[in-house]
Amino acid sequence: MRSERISGWILKAYLVVIFLFVFAPIIASVVFSFNSQRFPTIPLGSFSLEWYEKIFNDADVWTAARTSVIVALCTAVLSTCIGFATAYTDYRYQFRFKGAFLALALLPPTVPLIILALAMLAWFSKLGISGQISSIIFAHTVLCSPFAMAIIRLRLSQMDENLEAAAWNLGASQWATMRSVIVPFTRPAIIASFCLTAAVSFDEFAVAWFVSGLNKTIPVVILEIVQGNIDPQVNAIGTLVFVTSMTLVIIAQVLIMTSQKRDKIS
Amino acid sequence: MNDTLVEFRQVVKRFDDFVAVKNLNLSIAEGEFVALMGPSGCGKTTTLRMLAGLEKPTSGDILLNGQVMNEVSASERDTPMVWQSLALFPFLNARQNVEFGLKMRGVDSAERKKRAIHWLERLDMGEFIERPVNQLSGGQRQRVALARSLVIEPKILLLDEPLSALDAHLVIRMQGVLSKLQKELGITFVYVTHSQSEAFAMADRVVIMGNGDVAQVGSSREIYRAPANKFVAQFVGRNNIVSGKVISVDNGLVHFKTAFGTFSMRSPKNTAIELDQSIDLSIAADRLSVEARPHGAEEISQIKSGTTNSEPNQVHCTLISEEFVGAVVTLFFETNDGTEFMVQVQERELDELNISQDANYILSWSVDAAHLLDN
Amino acid sequence: MTQSDSTASNNRSSQRLYALTWRLPIIVWQLLFFIGPLLFLIAMSFFLVKNYRMHEAFEMVNWQKMFSRAYFKDAYVFTLGMAAGATVLCSLIAFPAAFALSFKVSENTRRWAIFFLIIPFFTSYLVRTFSWYVILSESGVVNSLLQFIGLGPYTMLNTVFGTMVGYLTLTLPLVIVLQTFSMSQIDKSYIEAAYNLGCGRLRTITSVIIPLAKTGLIIGAVFCFILAFGDFVSPYYLGGSKPPTLSILIIDTTKSGQQWPRAAVVAIVMMLTLFTVAFASIAYAYRKQQR
Repeated sequence: MRSERISGWILKAYLVVIFLFVFAPIIASVVFSFNSQRFPTIPLGSFSLEWYEKIFNDADVWTAARTSVIVALCTAVLSTCIGFATAYTDYRYQFRFKGAFLALALLPPTVPLIILALAMLAWFSKLGISGQISSIIFAHTVLCSPFAMAIIRLRLSQMDENLEAAAWNLGASQWATMRSVIVPFTRPAIIASFCLTAAVSFDEFAVAWFVSGLNKTIPVVILEIVQGNIDPQVNAIGTLVFVTSMTLVIIAQVLIMTSQKRDKIS
Repeated sequence: MNDTLVEFRQVVKRFDDFVAVKNLNLSIAEGEFVALMGPSGCGKTTTLRMLAGLEKPTSGDILLNGQVMNEVSASERDTPMVWQSLALFPFLNARQNVEFGLKMRGVDSAERKKRAIHWLERLDMGEFIERPVNQLSGGQRQRVALARSLVIEPKILLLDEPLSALDAHLVIRMQGVLSKLQKELGITFVYVTHSQSEAFAMADRVVIMGNGDVAQVGSSREIYRAPANKFVAQFVGRNNIVSGKVISVDNGLVHFKTAFGTFSMRSPKNTAIELDQSIDLSIAADRLSVEARPHGAEEISQIKSGTTNSEPNQVHCTLISEEFVGAVVTLFFETNDGTEFMVQVQERELDELNISQDANYILSWSVDAAHLLDN
Repeated sequence: MTQSDSTASNNRSSQRLYALTWRLPIIVWQLLFFIGPLLFLIAMSFFLVKNYRMHEAFEMVNWQKMFSRAYFKDAYVFTLGMAAGATVLCSLIAFPAAFALSFKVSENTRRWAIFFLIIPFFTSYLVRTFSWYVILSESGVVNSLLQFIGLGPYTMLNTVFGTMVGYLTLTLPLVIVLQTFSMSQIDKSYIEAAYNLGCGRLRTITSVIIPLAKTGLIIGAVFCFILAFGDFVSPYYLGGSKPPTLSILIIDTTKSGQQWPRAAVVAIVMMLTLFTVAFASIAYAYRKQQR
């Protein structure tokens, strides 16, 4: 009994260490971003907003931020729409080759980004659409729609299986049912999917680096700064990116959790 | 009777290899309360869903108001349904749920609201008009589901096990509500259930289904007193089923031999009985009587066959268990060849019987109590 | 009769239109921007490059060139070894954590822990790697802390250790989450039954929990392998690109040499390796589970 309790404490301590390891780089980057030293070490230097001032005065960072926001928003809209359509198809229909259909929809995350990046770069060059903002959006939508599908599919599986039929039964056509039943029911998941796909797109650097050409996104700018030398600007940008992504992820998580809770009461 | 509203003509429904409904012929009159009853998987829900247009018959026709409905989609049928899960729209409140069907029919919002509130009030839901449906109790949600279907003023209402999720005391109350509504509105109710108490309590006519076939159609009394076949007798329950072979027919009596003795029954009026014919008959559990076998009585014969009209059939057996449901007690007996008998008696009769397990008893029934089953 | 026939067929075609509206987008999109690029990648591996321009052709020359180069073979063996090492290391490090999350904490704590493990997935991996670069450097945070207790300084950057730290940053949260999902679903009564039958605690883990959670453990390992095998950030920034991994090889050949067809060869070899590993592991996971 006693050894059981001791081993329990050891395991919990181990958990704390693991979480420290996982969050150390995130916390460090936030702390370093406010640190006056160019090369942070212990003991830390003084509090400073130098690096933030630097990036706020950097026109390239602003351009990249604009590109990133456009790409993230367009990717989020496109991949959420496509993910919704795919999730609904999986929920509603049985058909031949459905296995192949689902494989096609869900496979992209299993292919290493660097390979997709090369393949897309070559393919977009061939089609003559490489190096544009739209090419980043096309590529990111491929990466993000499986996530969108998973989130919305999960929500659909929580729906009363007769809800759609109940709407038909009361005189709603297929399209009216989609508009007045399926979409309202899945709305929290649609918004969550929108936030999460935007976050994924906002952080993606490998594919964006290959296909973006001159239209760099924020992660590509980071990549290029890091390639040069140690520059704490990266921490400042990284912290801002982190805050943006976190906001999106938390919104998504809260939406998913509260919609589940609300269903449970009923 | 009134005009026919619904007609099933040789309707068959197959799902891949599974035949859910085999050759269904049934007509339902306007204003009738019909219950489709049977064990799960008997095809009753499929039948209802075909009527609502949610499943398409593999062959045969379904007529509504004399029109073949096979190609009419679910949304164009005006056959609203009350679902087992209720299927209320969780993102709408009570009133918005009720308004849904009207909205789909293009009724303007003021009129929709007026009619929705009228129906909710009629179903005693006046206090909860703007309440989100997940904050309503089971019985209240049931009423919203009813109002949602009735607000479109249909000629027919389909109900798919609507009370199965409710507590027992609420079931009785909702039965009352439903019966009253049906009478007041004068519309047709088609009610699917596996519960006989619900079907027998409310329906004008009960359709018993088994394995995709109609096993019997009749009033509650008819089905209870004269089950058509073994399936119905067993499904309705509290019936003793006895199988035997006819050995002689005389004086309006049929004598037959079973594994535990030879017995007699009144010759059925409409069925010819032949010698050596195998027959099944059912004896309702409340038509058997029990008496304790006199102590020390000699073991002359185990059984005694009723030979005249007044003399009952008798069988000796031992008590194996008893079941109490309120004032009615069901006693389970076993003959020495292992055949089981159940007998229903009033609780107050038990004292006279001096019941004790493993004691010996005589069960008897009159020649009129047995009812011949179709094969 | 004709009228009802025409409405019926109208009905059917509108049903089909509705179904296709939801089915087609993903098919079209993936064919255009996922399957298309991958097929083109295969085709490209047979193209020729003359004067820094690509010419469509069907020649084996890129394949022959790449397979005859020692650096390609070295990179392949190194990448495979590093990814395999990361997979074993990550699975081993993750297991006690997932075990603790599955059996030693409340359900609420578990839910929050999983939420916190998902967060890193959505934060910039680049920035995190850069953080490690600063933390692990010769005069960085770790070495200055070690100096207080009179140790170091140690060289951690540009070593296998550095690469592994990067790999773990990428994969550990995901692997813990996947392992926790599979272990927390184990019916606790199995474990109690094992204790009851006199199974020691370690034996319970090896002979009850691991077999029951096998599928999840293997899927976690497969994802770890895929991520580590394809990652270029850790081996480049923390491992110093010495020797380069396959993904660094792809970047170098594409970005500086303009040798896209040769990069395509590397990419295809990587894909084949990943498919083989993933398919074999998952087949193994499910075969064992069925028995």
